[in-house]
Amino acid sequence: MLEIDKLCYTSKLRYVNAGEKCFFSLASVILCIVSRSVPAALLLLIASTYLTVRRGGISVKRWLRYMTLPLTFLLLGTGAILVNISRTPLDAFALPVGSLYLTGSRAGVLQAAQLILTALSSVSALFFLSFNTPMTDILGVLKACRLPRLLIELMMLTYRFIFLLLENASAMLLSQDARLGNRDLRTAFRSRGMLASMLFIRAMRQAGSLYDAMEARCYDGQIRVLEEQRPPRGREILSIAVFEAVLLLLALLPFAAGAAGAGAWL
Amino acid sequence: MTNKSMAHREKLLVALAGVFALSLAAAPEANAMHIMEGYLPGGFCIAWGVLCLPFVLAGFFSIRRTVQENRKALILLAMSGAFIFVISSLKIPSVTGSCSHMTGTGLGAILFGPSCVSILGVIVLLFQAILLAHGGLTTLGANTFSMAIAGPFLAWGLYALLSRLRVNRRVSIFLAAALGDLFTYCVTSLQLALAYPSQQGGVAASALKFLGVFAPTQVPLAVIEGILTVVIVIALESYAQPELKLIGYYREVK
Repeated sequence: MLEIDKLCYTSKLRYVNAGEKCFFSLASVILCIVSRSVPAALLLLIASTYLTVRRGGISVKRWLRYMTLPLTFLLLGTGAILVNISRTPLDAFALPVGSLYLTGSRAGVLQAAQLILTALSSVSALFFLSFNTPMTDILGVLKACRLPRLLIELMMLTYRFIFLLLENASAMLLSQDARLGNRDLRTAFRSRGMLASMLFIRAMRQAGSLYDAMEARCYDGQIRVLEEQRPPRGREILSIAVFEAVLLLLALLPFAAGAAGAGAWL
Repeated sequence: MTNKSMAHREKLLVALAGVFALSLAAAPEANAMHIMEGYLPGGFCIAWGVLCLPFVLAGFFSIRRTVQENRKALILLAMSGAFIFVISSLKIPSVTGSCSHMTGTGLGAILFGPSCVSILGVIVLLFQAILLAHGGLTTLGANTFSMAIAGPFLAWGLYALLSRLRVNRRVSIFLAAALGDLFTYCVTSLQLALAYPSQQGGVAASALKFLGVFAPTQVPLAVIEGILTVVIVIALESYAQPELKLIGYYREVK
């Protein structure tokens, strides 16, 4: 039902140590965001595309479809940053509307381009993580980060219940469609109300019976599961370290160039 | 001004409007306004995260107390979180044909109360980022503040106030959900504006710009969300009374 969840179980990188994958995407995203460096963003974009498509085995078509998912937000948001409404035209472009101008400055255009690249590369790193790492592994990493046990348990149960409810919801949606439940807007609203309330009732009933079943099996407030240990490999750690170092170098480049008086790096 | 320049300007405007309309039509999904991964500068990510911390901690402690008293509450909470996630992941019927999602902010606040929603919200937003590619990890703090704290608190406060004033139930649910949604969108616009102030006019002008560009998708969404929440709550009250008692819904209202 959830495509990403299915993808990460079939990924070829599924059995790589989850901590490594989390560290790779988080560290890279943070470096890119803090530096806003264009070369670093390009490198990260290429690296996560390569890792997910070639090494992970996700099809290019699917990768591109997911990369266009945040496009609306990116276009609208960046458009708003780029365009100013003002009485005096700025230096990059100016479009007169009545007595005002829709206008932008060169610095603004540069900032927008930087922002688009940074955001796209960060999204690609997030997709690398979510396309190749099952949620249970990510929860394992969070546990190793010493998050409170209660929170981890709540997340684990929520994750499990999501699929229970999704299955229920999709069956209900299908039967509503089959009975012309989405014929027009009015019926669609009514059907959705019924769906949500039935879903809620089933959720709460199932919670009740689940609790009884767990209680019968000596549930004492803790769920202990056997975790598969996948120790990190030396070669992988080394390549991640090298990659982050290169990224850091690229991120620091403009500062170094600025300090040397070599002028602004794009 | 000559006729020729007018014609030119008109053409430009039409072209611009066309590009704008196309960008909306070509957009695969009009989601609730999750700020995407990598869109906020580092300092802002941390600041919003820190701002969320007291609310999330309060929610966590209240949950811990409840769970210590009654172990079954953990299962109910997890079910509630999953319910919010599933409701927000289903496509909603829409007028324009573009597909969009509910936020579930108002519904969650009305059903479960705001402090509980803050912690469930963090979990739901994390799952949305990883499983649905909505939002992101570094923007989790900002998104939590707008969707799991600001929106629910307003919706819940409004709902409680209107119920106290004995306003028609449908009207008060509609107002709480729709305004909670609108408030979320305003807070998100403000978050973006603070991070990217306009070169001319500063934060205020920038906030207006963000409010303007997201209005065409967000305002209809808020109205739809309001109507849906009314339909859902009414259906719940007529079919699911025992279950609602289980989560303490009636204690809060009466």
